[in-house]
Amino acid sequence: MWEVTTAKMAASSAAGRVLTLCKQFQNVLRISSAINPQHCTANITKYQAHVYREKSPLVAVPFWYSPSSSAGQCRALHTTISRRGLEEFFDLPENWGEATVKSGAPWTAKQLRTKSNEDLHKLWYVLLKEKNMLLTIEQEARRQRAQMPSPERLRKVERSIIRLETTVKERETALRLLQTGQEKGRPGTWRRNMFGYVYWYRFKEYAIPWYMNKRYKRKRFYTPAFVQPHIRLRIEKHLRDKARKANREKETLMKLKKKLPHIKVPAS
Amino acid sequence: MILTLGNPQLRIFRPNWFLTLVRPGREQPPDTAQFRIPMEMTKYDVKNYLEKIYNVPVGAVRTRIQFGSNKKRNHLNQKVKQPDYKVAYVQLAQGQTFTFPDIYPEKDQVVAEGSMEEMQEKFMEDEKQRQKLDPRRGGVTEWFGL
Repeated sequence: MWEVTTAKMAASSAAGRVLTLCKQFQNVLRISSAINPQHCTANITKYQAHVYREKSPLVAVPFWYSPSSSAGQCRALHTTISRRGLEEFFDLPENWGEATVKSGAPWTAKQLRTKSNEDLHKLWYVLLKEKNMLLTIEQEARRQRAQMPSPERLRKVERSIIRLETTVKERETALRLLQTGQEKGRPGTWRRNMFGYVYWYRFKEYAIPWYMNKRYKRKRFYTPAFVQPHIRLRIEKHLRDKARKANREKETLMKLKKKLPHIKVPAS
Repeated sequence: MILTLGNPQLRIFRPNWFLTLVRPGREQPPDTAQFRIPMEMTKYDVKNYLEKIYNVPVGAVRTRIQFGSNKKRNHLNQKVKQPDYKVAYVQLAQGQTFTFPDIYPEKDQVVAEGSMEEMQEKFMEDEKQRQKLDPRRGGVTEWFGL
């Protein structure tokens, strides 16, 4: 009978050892996923170039990075460490010296809105690395007085980054509105400055109240009386410039029509 | 490093900073890489950036700000400022070395048949032939009569 108990104890102790090992792995995973959330994968890219880069992302992942959400508390993030280090600042070696490099279309805001937050986070770093690479080869092209292959890639990446930023901001404002009812994270207000302009003044955190702050009191949030007439003059100047520009365009069109009467008026 | 007053410090989740690896103008030690970084970055920022995003072991980082010249003038005689930039010299840890590769090697131009490049090449060759003197003169210039 006591063989059964020893067997059971052995089994339980073995299971217990495995459990503690699992717990240690869990802790490692939790800490590592908290500290290194920024490693990126190559799984979701519009750019085909990046898919060629990380040929086997799963092989590169060491065993303790595997996405086993064991405890349920830590959100497992599947990440890939880049094994190539500083080589990632350059294109793939077969693209060196080419005249053009094929690249896909930039991400649109519509497509980005369908992605989850983790995907957007990873995509940010993918785009960041791509932009770093393009800037590096652009600078090297200027240095060597050669032509950079396909410079439009840089513009595409910049546009994608801007659209990603807008989608993330939209989500943040929506969440903030639901949670607090405030649209903006940092409080601010519309104020008039000394030159007659109304602008969005963003509040700053001070240790003392505003009536004890000498530098703040020197800032005037109203237009003094002697500035009032200049505001009207400024508006008049702006209107005059606008009218002159419109007249200039009309005159050029009239001249063109006189020279070539059969052309269609281009829609402005 | 955007230091905020009080605690906790700001954590940036989507860094908007882009590094450019450049070829060093002066001879650098073999473990040093030269970067152009945005002005707002510090040495700690560069270290964390390379370690976390690129998984590159970084030893020491030294930075300096390069002044962009304000001397040149345009056709309106206005001074044109070249932008200032910050340069970071990053020494890699664990005895790694880095040499800046040759990204634009000289490639032999293979001219395709019937293309613009081929026509241009032919035209240039014809022009050069016309510029050459009569080979029967034996290298004597046109200045000498007869």
